[in-house]
Amino acid sequence: MSVQKNKSRMGFIIILPSLILIGIFVYYFIFWTIRTSFSNWNSFSSLLRGVYKYVGFRNYERIFMDPRFQTDLWNTLFFTLFFILGSVGLGLFLANLIDKGIKGSRFFQNLFLFPMAISFVVTGTVWSWIFAPGNFPNDPQGLNLLFKKLGLEKLQWMWYTSSESIGHFNLALIAVIIAAVWQMSGYIMAMYLAGLKAIPEEILEAARVDGANERYIFWKIKMPLLKPITLSAMIVLGHVSLKIFDLIYAMTGSGPNNVTDVPAIYMFELTFRSNKYAMGSAISVIMLLMVAVIIIPYLYSSLRRGVSS
Amino acid sequence: MAQVVLENIDKIYPNGFHAVKNASFTIEDKEFCVLLGPSGCGKTTTLRMIAGLEEISKGTLKIDGKVVNDVEPKDRDIAFVFQNYALYPHMTVYDNMAFGLKLRKFPKEEIDQRVKNAAKILDIAHLLDRKPKQLSGGQRQRVAVGRAIVRDPKVFLFDEPLSNLDAKLRVQMRSELKKLHHRLDATIVYVTHDQVEAMTMADKIVIMKDGVIQQIGSPYDVYFKPKNKFVAGFIGTPPMNFLEAKVVKGDGGLWISAEDLKVKIPKEFEEKLESYIDKDIIFGIRPENIHDKSIYKGEHTNDVVKGKVDVAEPLGSETLLHVTLGGQYLVAKVDPTTTAREGTEVELILEMETMHVFDKETELAVI
Repeated sequence: MSVQKNKSRMGFIIILPSLILIGIFVYYFIFWTIRTSFSNWNSFSSLLRGVYKYVGFRNYERIFMDPRFQTDLWNTLFFTLFFILGSVGLGLFLANLIDKGIKGSRFFQNLFLFPMAISFVVTGTVWSWIFAPGNFPNDPQGLNLLFKKLGLEKLQWMWYTSSESIGHFNLALIAVIIAAVWQMSGYIMAMYLAGLKAIPEEILEAARVDGANERYIFWKIKMPLLKPITLSAMIVLGHVSLKIFDLIYAMTGSGPNNVTDVPAIYMFELTFRSNKYAMGSAISVIMLLMVAVIIIPYLYSSLRRGVSS
Repeated sequence: MAQVVLENIDKIYPNGFHAVKNASFTIEDKEFCVLLGPSGCGKTTTLRMIAGLEEISKGTLKIDGKVVNDVEPKDRDIAFVFQNYALYPHMTVYDNMAFGLKLRKFPKEEIDQRVKNAAKILDIAHLLDRKPKQLSGGQRQRVAVGRAIVRDPKVFLFDEPLSNLDAKLRVQMRSELKKLHHRLDATIVYVTHDQVEAMTMADKIVIMKDGVIQQIGSPYDVYFKPKNKFVAGFIGTPPMNFLEAKVVKGDGGLWISAEDLKVKIPKEFEEKLESYIDKDIIFGIRPENIHDKSIYKGEHTNDVVKGKVDVAEPLGSETLLHVTLGGQYLVAKVDPTTTAREGTEVELILEMETMHVFDKETELAVI
């Protein structure tokens, strides 16, 4: 009994430092952000005065009424949707190619995974050069220049400076989505590859003997068995995309007329460029809630799965 | 009618490993054929070639008189039961069993009828809604067998299906599979490294070692008439005793002779051993054909050896005596009433009518 007690006390002492640090730098600051979001601290002078005045949901009301924030929400929705579809689709495709054991698959595996090692800021900068439209058709840059050399002037486009849209979907986001998919699809490929390798060969052989062709095996055997991976991938990508800041900030910023603006950029600019701390905090809290909506059910189900097994 | 014929079949892997060498044998219709051998002997590879899961490097494979070397597994009309069952984890037991039938576009009613019928035979009707992970090992095994049964294939292929079960369940499933074989009138090819499974279930046993077939025969044949030293030592527990000895001419005929060992060879074997006189041979005798002289009631002459007991292992129904005999070593399975204990001398009677002699060079059986 006392051995047990000693053990658990020891365990507690060992995790105590990180508990304290997380307590201060994560949970206390979350609390502080929420507190700020209900205050009137929307100018530098009000902050200096240091008097906390509770204003209820006024900051939230102002944010939700703000057309720029409404654009941000639409942008986030479309960015998340196509970013997840693109990364999962491409990742799954690459994982299957490599799992088939094509020549040099180990090399390609590392090649595809490599963008993962690069910071979003670097990715954003590089792709901003690639997608820089220049003065086309006659004096294009980046990709547009390549199109000119290949005689494909028809494909030249404004990319992230485009102000076209389909409904609420700003087409300028396409360039950002491509860059983000380029960065994350290798990681998703690695996840799927691990999942594919974990499927016992016998199950696939059993299906072959049972009469299934490879396409049927993919959709009816492999995909259902990869469902937990797909879910994890969507969670990982989802929380990246809801919080996306650095890639877009380095690549285009808000773009003309906020075509590539997202909540994180608006939050950053409100807080650190306009000193509207309370409104910035309100955006932060909204983002936190959006991420929580997808993360908490996932944590809940994976914790429960951990307990039951 | 589903006869499987292997003609001079070879399997050579791309890395040069020669897994199966010139295998030729026939599995008759409705026969229970067991491929038996130690791990790595090529028996599973042979089975997988019959299934079409492994390419045949050389030779011809015929099912029902039709060459199927280049036929896809799904078109060979075979069912394969895997060692680790290979159930589809995301499907219910029902769907696992129905999978192959759905793919073959059977009408719904027939699928339902076949699955339920198989489930009844295998006593898993109450499990049809469960997922594999909710089943015990034995139940999964039954589902795997059920998945094969519903297809009503020409040939059933089993790859060590009982090796993941515990000992008690294994014995039970063994007799159930045997019953099932009679009930379904099926042609079965069954791979195992367990000679007890082979002996109890097989109509025909194919014994392999290092990719080469050692002997093909009934359980009776491989036990009583092993073709070589490997088969003799592989079949039977504890394995046959092998003693290095000489054949010598003595009073009244031929004798087996070694240090502390001088026993007379029965008349009927003498002719075959003429050419081995004064030559080194390997003398083989099974532990169950050795008796403790002090409690033996039958008649006997010139067949007694004396040795020192190293270990005595009482098993209840019999006692195993590990005996040293002039630097060589012998195991005797004797009546449990024996008084022999560790360290004592014991006189043993060898039932010479059951003896075996192997050529020392080729290890082929002479007797």
